[in-house]
Amino acid sequence: MRDETSLSTHVSIKDGRGGIEKKLTGIPRKSQLALLVSPSVLWLIILLVLPLITMIGLSFQKSAFGPGSDVFTFASYLNFWQNSAYQSLLGKSLWISLVVAVMSIVLAYPVAYFLAFHAGDKQGMLLNIMIIPAWTSFLLRVLAWRLILGSNGLLNTFLMWLGVIQEPISGLFYSVNAVIITLVYIWIPFAALPIYVALLRIEPGLLEAASDLGAKPWQGFFKVTLPLSIPGVLAAFLYVFIPTVGEYVTPALVGGPNGLMIGNIIWDQFMRGLDWPMGATLSLVVMLIVLLPLIFMAKAAQQTGLFGGKSE
Amino acid sequence: MKIYRFRALVLLAVFVSTLLAGCSAGAGTQKIDKPEKPLVILEWTGYEVTEYPQFFVPFSDKYGDNINDYVNVSVFGDDAEAFAKVQSGFKADVIHPCSSWWGLYVESGLVQPLDVSRIAEWENIPEAFREPGKFNGQYYFVPWDWYYEALLVRTDLVPEMPTSLADLWDPMYAGHVSLWDNGEVSFATAALAFGINPFNTSPEQDEFVKQKLIEIKPNLLTYWLDYTQAIELSASGDAWIVASAWQDTYSVLVDEGYEVTYLEPEEGYLAGVCGYGIGTNNTNLDLTYEFLNAAIDPHSMANFTNEYWYGAANFAANEFIDEGAAELLQLDDFENVLKNTRFYPPLTAERRDLLSDLWNEVKAAP
Repeated sequence: MRDETSLSTHVSIKDGRGGIEKKLTGIPRKSQLALLVSPSVLWLIILLVLPLITMIGLSFQKSAFGPGSDVFTFASYLNFWQNSAYQSLLGKSLWISLVVAVMSIVLAYPVAYFLAFHAGDKQGMLLNIMIIPAWTSFLLRVLAWRLILGSNGLLNTFLMWLGVIQEPISGLFYSVNAVIITLVYIWIPFAALPIYVALLRIEPGLLEAASDLGAKPWQGFFKVTLPLSIPGVLAAFLYVFIPTVGEYVTPALVGGPNGLMIGNIIWDQFMRGLDWPMGATLSLVVMLIVLLPLIFMAKAAQQTGLFGGKSE
Repeated sequence: MKIYRFRALVLLAVFVSTLLAGCSAGAGTQKIDKPEKPLVILEWTGYEVTEYPQFFVPFSDKYGDNINDYVNVSVFGDDAEAFAKVQSGFKADVIHPCSSWWGLYVESGLVQPLDVSRIAEWENIPEAFREPGKFNGQYYFVPWDWYYEALLVRTDLVPEMPTSLADLWDPMYAGHVSLWDNGEVSFATAALAFGINPFNTSPEQDEFVKQKLIEIKPNLLTYWLDYTQAIELSASGDAWIVASAWQDTYSVLVDEGYEVTYLEPEEGYLAGVCGYGIGTNNTNLDLTYEFLNAAIDPHSMANFTNEYWYGAANFAANEFIDEGAAELLQLDDFENVLKNTRFYPPLTAERRDLLSDLWNEVKAAP
């Protein structure tokens, strides 16, 4: 008897909720959810998961076409393992990305700080001004640096006018430095945004409290502002670092013979070398190397509550 | 809950399969609707019959306004790209690769042998161009355009004129040389510079050439990727010497008034020839040979040479070629030029892979 009543109330509640939803849409709640996410899930499956599986399969094939495509082999991985040129290039690419990420953050932080704390009414306008360059074509922005660093560029002309140099320096544009300069320039707005958002979230009362307790402005910055903006800095780091590792357009355009990155070799393996297994292997190795510290960082951030996952 | 998840999955599966079915159905009906389907031509950009009717005069005159009912042109910008496309299932009726790729097409069964009796101008094509397209006693390609690879030198900038490919390694030109970002070509250039036959090397020689290509890096400004970049590098004065440059690069710079010269290196020219092959599944052979005969027609070919300064494989076209282009191509002295010129021979898949890897390792080297 007791059981029966409890069961009946349970059923009636469930009926009640379901009834309202049915009246509104005629579709059960779970199906509604499935419908809502299915476009993006489909998108991800077709354009990310399936290609990724294809890539993994490809990396174990002997060749992309012909009879070799049915042969299962570790040759590409072995080739990478034994190839010091590819390894050192991968190392160099990671190094370039690291330098670019750190420099972008260092240069973006003051911008974000100014926007968040000192821009006042003009915040919105200044934010737009910062982002507008990102609307122009990527290629155009890369090539714009030719006007500055090229042998007839602004920098050379200026130095020659000053009399510092007699002849234009021609190695400026096609070099590793040119790659770094160009990439830092391109990524500063993207690094500034997450830092800006993190800074905005800081309670102004905290800084007041710090100064009330006798902290000098720089102490307030290092003890309050900076630690609280670390989630934004980390996000900025990942925003810049991850896409930069696989970069191939910028090095191809401004890198010269010594400024190429692993992305250029991957592109070449696919587009011209026709060695798709090797290209797939290199891509997966890069992905793994980028993914591991990412997972580690995310775990660490979650445990320390850096991303605001845990409220205190 | 499990049931709903299952339902979502079923929905998803249905969606995907309708999508796929839709695609294949679309492709299927097209064939049925058009019994006489147009020729699918896989062509270099800048050569399309639909855009450049003057290169295919009799054909474009005949079909003029309705040309799209007879041909369907797809373009490519790189031999490797075209080969990958055909390899992965693109059904091309007519393909236009260059000689070093010809063997790969034949080896992979992507082209069918020619019936040379159906090509009216066949005898006017020099043997030097026809032979690379001959496999197992049969011809597979109609040679059409040919080119030299030479040193494009800014005469007003170099401290001293280079005379040979070996001069590219001279520190005098440090930071002002540009090589083509192409393994096969840069390997041949380096091998020739150090007295090695580029088309018949031992593994030790391969390693030697690789080291030489790494050694040249301090002399390099950058690798050039396509001909617009080659033009830009030379025009800006950053690259004093552009290696492996083609005639069209030179013609553009001359037109714009730059002080450039197109220099035949002491080691002789490297050269290439490109031509049309017929896809294995092509059954519309009447229209195909009509197209090929139009392409190889002397007037079509002369129009082509006069526009791009590339060579015409049909030597009957030579009398219609402008003086400037003829002089650049050294047509009056062609027999002698041939003796001192190396045409890229067809490569095997293994050799191509080796050169591609070698080149990538050169580029990756610190």
